[in-house]
Amino acid sequence: MVDFRRDIPLAITFIIGVIAVLDYYTTIPIFINTFTVIKNWGVVLQAFALGLGAVNLLRVHGRRISERRDDWYFSAVLLAMMFIFIIVGLITGQYESGATYNWLYNAIYLPLGSTMYSSLAFYMAYGAYKVLRARTFEAALLFTTAVLVIIGNTPIFPAMFPGFFHIREWIFGPIVGGAYRGIRIGVGIGAVVLGIRTLIGLETGYLGRR
Amino acid sequence: MDVPREVIMALVLISMIIPALNPLGLPLMVGDMSRAWYRTVDELPEGSVILFDIAFGSGGYPSLGPGTIAAFHQMFEKGHKIIMMATDLEGSMMYPLIMDSVKPEQNYGAVYGEDWVFFGYIAGGQTAMAGILGDIRALVSTDYQGNDIDSLAVMDGVNGADDFDLVASITTSGDIAEGWVYQGYSQYNRPVIGGCLSMMTTSIKPYYDTGQLLGLMDGIKGAADLEFLTKHPGDAIVSSDILSFSQTLVLIFIAVGNIAYWIQKGGNS
Repeated sequence: MVDFRRDIPLAITFIIGVIAVLDYYTTIPIFINTFTVIKNWGVVLQAFALGLGAVNLLRVHGRRISERRDDWYFSAVLLAMMFIFIIVGLITGQYESGATYNWLYNAIYLPLGSTMYSSLAFYMAYGAYKVLRARTFEAALLFTTAVLVIIGNTPIFPAMFPGFFHIREWIFGPIVGGAYRGIRIGVGIGAVVLGIRTLIGLETGYLGRR
Repeated sequence: MDVPREVIMALVLISMIIPALNPLGLPLMVGDMSRAWYRTVDELPEGSVILFDIAFGSGGYPSLGPGTIAAFHQMFEKGHKIIMMATDLEGSMMYPLIMDSVKPEQNYGAVYGEDWVFFGYIAGGQTAMAGILGDIRALVSTDYQGNDIDSLAVMDGVNGADDFDLVASITTSGDIAEGWVYQGYSQYNRPVIGGCLSMMTTSIKPYYDTGQLLGLMDGIKGAADLEFLTKHPGDAIVSSDILSFSQTLVLIFIAVGNIAYWIQKGGNS
């Protein structure tokens, strides 16, 4: 029996997947042109997903506020800022963001965003102090590698002793590069298998069902 | 013996504030990856068309902003045409910040629409990259200011991947950095250069080693290198002093932690 809720999405996936593969491996104009249209649909759909995200944010945090859950006032601040940015953006800028919008962003969001990221430096310094201890042979290997990479990354040391730079490059090259390529090749093979399974309808997890 | 967290963090803060207030101009060794970025842009003939993705936001700005500014200085100085876009939502907000520092009109006599254009944010990650490289006009009809792209001189004859002499991106996202390699290099066979956070270097550098990325600007160190090479010293060179101070302090902490551990272990045994 035909299950439209399952079979129609599978058919769409198959058709689009085949066109994508033919676009990549052939130079036949009809596939290239068709896939150009599909790519543009993809961009539009993902832009819509942003709007959907905003609606979802409103639902989740609106509920937190109405039920007065723990730290509900953070949700109130989040929604208030979201509406302020939306309203100011709509009023002051049609295409390019206006001066007021830029000021809001530069005075509030930019320093907050930068601070969030920069605060990592403090935790990483403390983490390095607490964790990087040569307790065992394996820990000593990790410790030595970490110390050499930190020295190689600290601008003053390679400038004074270029050997540290080359040691860091050697760690990043044959050791890290080799391991990472192994991982990426594994991921790549997995992606090909997943792609084939998805194309032939064996993988249906993306439909929200098993 | 255990140094309290507050003490370590306070010392790290002090090690950052001193060089920030009093830049010392500590020596710098320019890395191969940044040198390769610089050389790739430098060797392009004047008037080459570069596709540039500003793919970072406020979190990445302290690390990647200075490098992006230095990169644009070099590109405008060389008289290249730059097609800018953003695959990060906040890229559109980074664009005015960066242009306020570069000042292409004042410094290089460049004109918007003739020498550069900004498309704004394009959703979709790799789909957007494939769209831009495949057929620009099928994906984008107006620039960020609402101008019809066909009315802009910089877009004359620029339709897709074949018209770009170089693809460049600076990003905080591994997916975006790898995406440009997959789409720009693998799919469309374009020369690609990339910029990323220092912590991403381990995962992105293999693409540089294989030649899929012709240059790589890694974090604030790479940005300082580029500022030095382009002779436009800025925040990154000051930050490299801060990096030298704070990372040396981290090394001291690591040494103290280990010495304390081994003394304690010796005492226990």
